[in-house]
Amino acid sequence: MTLFTIDEVRKSFTNGEVKEEILKGINLSLREGEITALVGASGSGKSTLLTISAGLQPTSDGQVIFEGKNMTTMSSEQVRKVRASKFGFVFQFAHLVPFLTVEEQLMLMLDVSESRLKKHEQKEEVNRILKLVGMDHRKNSYPNLLSGGEKQRVAIARAIIHKPKVLFADEPTASLDSKRSKDVMLLIRELTKTLNITTLMVTHDEEMLSYADQIIKMSDGLILQNVD
Amino acid sequence: MNLAWKEIKKNKVRFLILGSIVFLVSLLTFIISGLANGLSQDNAALIKDLPEGQFYMNEDADETYNLSRIDSGIQNEILKIQKDAVAFSIQMGFLNDEADKQQSIAFVTSTDSKLFENVKHEEIILDSSLKDKGIKVGDTLTNNQFSGKFVVKGFVDQKKYSHAPVAYISMEDYKEIYRVEQMQLVFTPEGDSSQEFTGLQSFSKKDFLNTIPSYSAEQMSLNMIVWFLVVISGMLFAIFFYMMNVQKIGLYGILKAIGLKTSRLFKMIWTQMVVITVISLVISITLSQVFNMIAPEGMPFSLSFKTTGQLSIVFLIIGFIGATLSGIQIKKIEPLQAIQQGEV
Repeated sequence: MTLFTIDEVRKSFTNGEVKEEILKGINLSLREGEITALVGASGSGKSTLLTISAGLQPTSDGQVIFEGKNMTTMSSEQVRKVRASKFGFVFQFAHLVPFLTVEEQLMLMLDVSESRLKKHEQKEEVNRILKLVGMDHRKNSYPNLLSGGEKQRVAIARAIIHKPKVLFADEPTASLDSKRSKDVMLLIRELTKTLNITTLMVTHDEEMLSYADQIIKMSDGLILQNVD
Repeated sequence: MNLAWKEIKKNKVRFLILGSIVFLVSLLTFIISGLANGLSQDNAALIKDLPEGQFYMNEDADETYNLSRIDSGIQNEILKIQKDAVAFSIQMGFLNDEADKQQSIAFVTSTDSKLFENVKHEEIILDSSLKDKGIKVGDTLTNNQFSGKFVVKGFVDQKKYSHAPVAYISMEDYKEIYRVEQMQLVFTPEGDSSQEFTGLQSFSKKDFLNTIPSYSAEQMSLNMIVWFLVVISGMLFAIFFYMMNVQKIGLYGILKAIGLKTSRLFKMIWTQMVVITVISLVISITLSQVFNMIAPEGMPFSLSFKTTGQLSIVFLIIGFIGATLSGIQIKKIEPLQAIQQGEV
């Protein structure tokens, strides 16, 4: 079932007198419980497409339809609410809050998403997700005491703790070595399937494509190939 | 979740440094303010301790009370109209103690009034600071312009004028020393500027204090130092909060990206500002009040809770403005920019 539709999305920037078109009319549908990978050379527009889909920057033209609603016409507060409650993010770097413990990072996400769970239920949920990502033994640690792989696992846990509909992952394995990259991708795949999350992932690592259900190859702001 | 407090707990050193700056600057401001108040008391406690009201001196005295001579007819008329009004004079002079040592004092005499000490012929009441010079009740003091001798009847606390201790004497004795019949000033408590008398110029207490030679110049300089410190500390607060927030722009961007409201980020920096400023101010208020109690006798230092309270409110407002100005950066942060910047 289609959860997310990108319809004729265009994005251009004006650099001085030169107008640069990054996305030249993209059409794409994301299905529930599937991982869609965006691949392509640097400057092909894949990260721009991901951030536009996630409501982190506006389109120049076109529509982003999520759950039947056009996000491009929403106010910034409405977009923030969607981001907080329905989306999860994993970036190239973990971007954890340096003064919060692993457990607090996840509690904060539940707080931001205005979770209706009671305090003790939130703690139980945090423990469950930390177990799922294999980080329950580090729940009282601060980010500076975690390895790169551990940080990324916590970032993934933070991205899914509030049960998002869509997970946006921008080069989630770029800062990890090959073994940790595989571990992280296996984890994302397992969670996507178990929790029925729709995942849109940008990667330049061809090895990671084996974990995707749909592969979109981009070049020069256009979709070259859509492989299921 | 209280993000502000969690950050303070994790980054104790950073916040301790910021708090130390707020503490040092506010303590310095309190101490300078205490000295300014102390000097002001030392210069004009006699006038400052009077209630609010109107002072009158001759129109042709050129706003110099020393040159003022109030006509006895007008004086009687005012004292008749307003029962609690008082006519008085102040003159700088000196007294010789029993060891014939000369002490500079300010002679004060007045008509009957609760606002001034009433003394009889050849009696004198002195400011208590003269006790430190060895003068005690029952001592006899002399003045080469005065034919008799003054007997010390008592002391009063904190009555100074032009940095000299006040000496209350009777009108009869005053007239003999200074060879004048008229009083220099009339004071009407609770009077206002609408009350006018022929040939007299009226002054509010504040205006009258400014006619005292050296008072306004001294206070203006000290107040300028105090307010200069307040402005500098305001700029320091703003700069430090700005620096702290600029360092955290990446973090704020990520928090915004995951959906944290900008208003919550503002609450976070305001909470931190209030916590740091209030703790620092409480410590500097305590220390400045301790200093107020243990300051050496000769040091003119006077710091009331009212003054420290007022200055503390100014510091809190300045801190709030500084934090808010730096917080404007937060409003401008694009989550995308923070994500692209790399690890926070």
